[in-house]
Amino acid sequence: MTADWTRGPDQQLEADEERHGAAERFRDADFPLMKLWTYYYGIGGDVDEVSLDAYLNEALRLPAAQVGLIKTAMTELAGDDDR
Amino acid sequence: MTGNDGQAQEPDGLAQAADTDPVHSFQQMVLENPDIKGFLAELALLAAARLSVPGNSIHAGVTVLRRKKPEAVAASDAAARALDELQNGFGDGPCLTALRHRTTILVPDLTAESRWAPYVQTAVDHGVASILAVPLDLAGDAEAVLNLYSGCSHGFSGEDITSAEAFAGQAASSLRLILRITQLSDARNDLSAAMHSRTVIDMAVGAVMAQNRCDRDTAFSILTRASSTRNVKLRDVAATVITSISGEEHITTHFDE
Repeated sequence: MTADWTRGPDQQLEADEERHGAAERFRDADFPLMKLWTYYYGIGGDVDEVSLDAYLNEALRLPAAQVGLIKTAMTELAGDDDR
Repeated sequence: MTGNDGQAQEPDGLAQAADTDPVHSFQQMVLENPDIKGFLAELALLAAARLSVPGNSIHAGVTVLRRKKPEAVAASDAAARALDELQNGFGDGPCLTALRHRTTILVPDLTAESRWAPYVQTAVDHGVASILAVPLDLAGDAEAVLNLYSGCSHGFSGEDITSAEAFAGQAASSLRLILRITQLSDARNDLSAAMHSRTVIDMAVGAVMAQNRCDRDTAFSILTRASSTRNVKLRDVAATVITSISGEEHITTHFDE
């Protein structure tokens, strides 16, 4: 998956901040990467598990649509846990 | 649990079975209890039976760290469960310390113990005099501790500690096997759920694209926004979209397992 180069530097910075937040939330949530990836794939996610891992370690940028789905997957999985 | 020789065993025979052939009995336990809770319940019973002697009955419990929170998952009896839960409620105590530091902790005499004061006091009120906590080494897959309670002070001899540690070591390797089995079957169930949900979502995305004459990313963001503003899961939003168009309520995916 290639990064979205059409965004300007400001958006890039914002995206990196969002990525940092996602990485932190993932560490705090403490569920296996495989579980998150499977859920994300199930709601229509496109990137593979290795890319997701890289994203959550702040080593790879992903297109905004995938970022949105990762966020949704984390929120919905965390909600399942609370029940 | 029965031995290979077909000889009927008394309830006390649990301890004997573990003494004569622990590996065999743990294997048997794995086969009979494919789920973690069932295995740990049997483990607690076996530990209590094995260490109890007339005049000094041992109560056993198992606490597991799940998502960084300790949880009392199994016990040989209600007393042990209550003690485990008490300790988890206080958030600190010998068993939790053993769990966190991965070392065996012995409290030979609770009345002389100065650490974990609030818990220790409550445990004494419950009639506990000594505690032995042995962590189960699960090689990073999970964390668990075997909690042993005795009503006698100095209720655990050096020999008991060695045997409890050996017992915990054997139990841990069987437990790791169960964890692997559970992880695989969970992964399989998750994948199967993902296949079903992805079909519904892909169809809904296509429908939104056709209705709004937009691209796939835009269709996804429309669905995602609807999901988060209404606090409804994405796949439920997708299912609603499909139902509103075609009236179909159950979209099934068939795939070979």
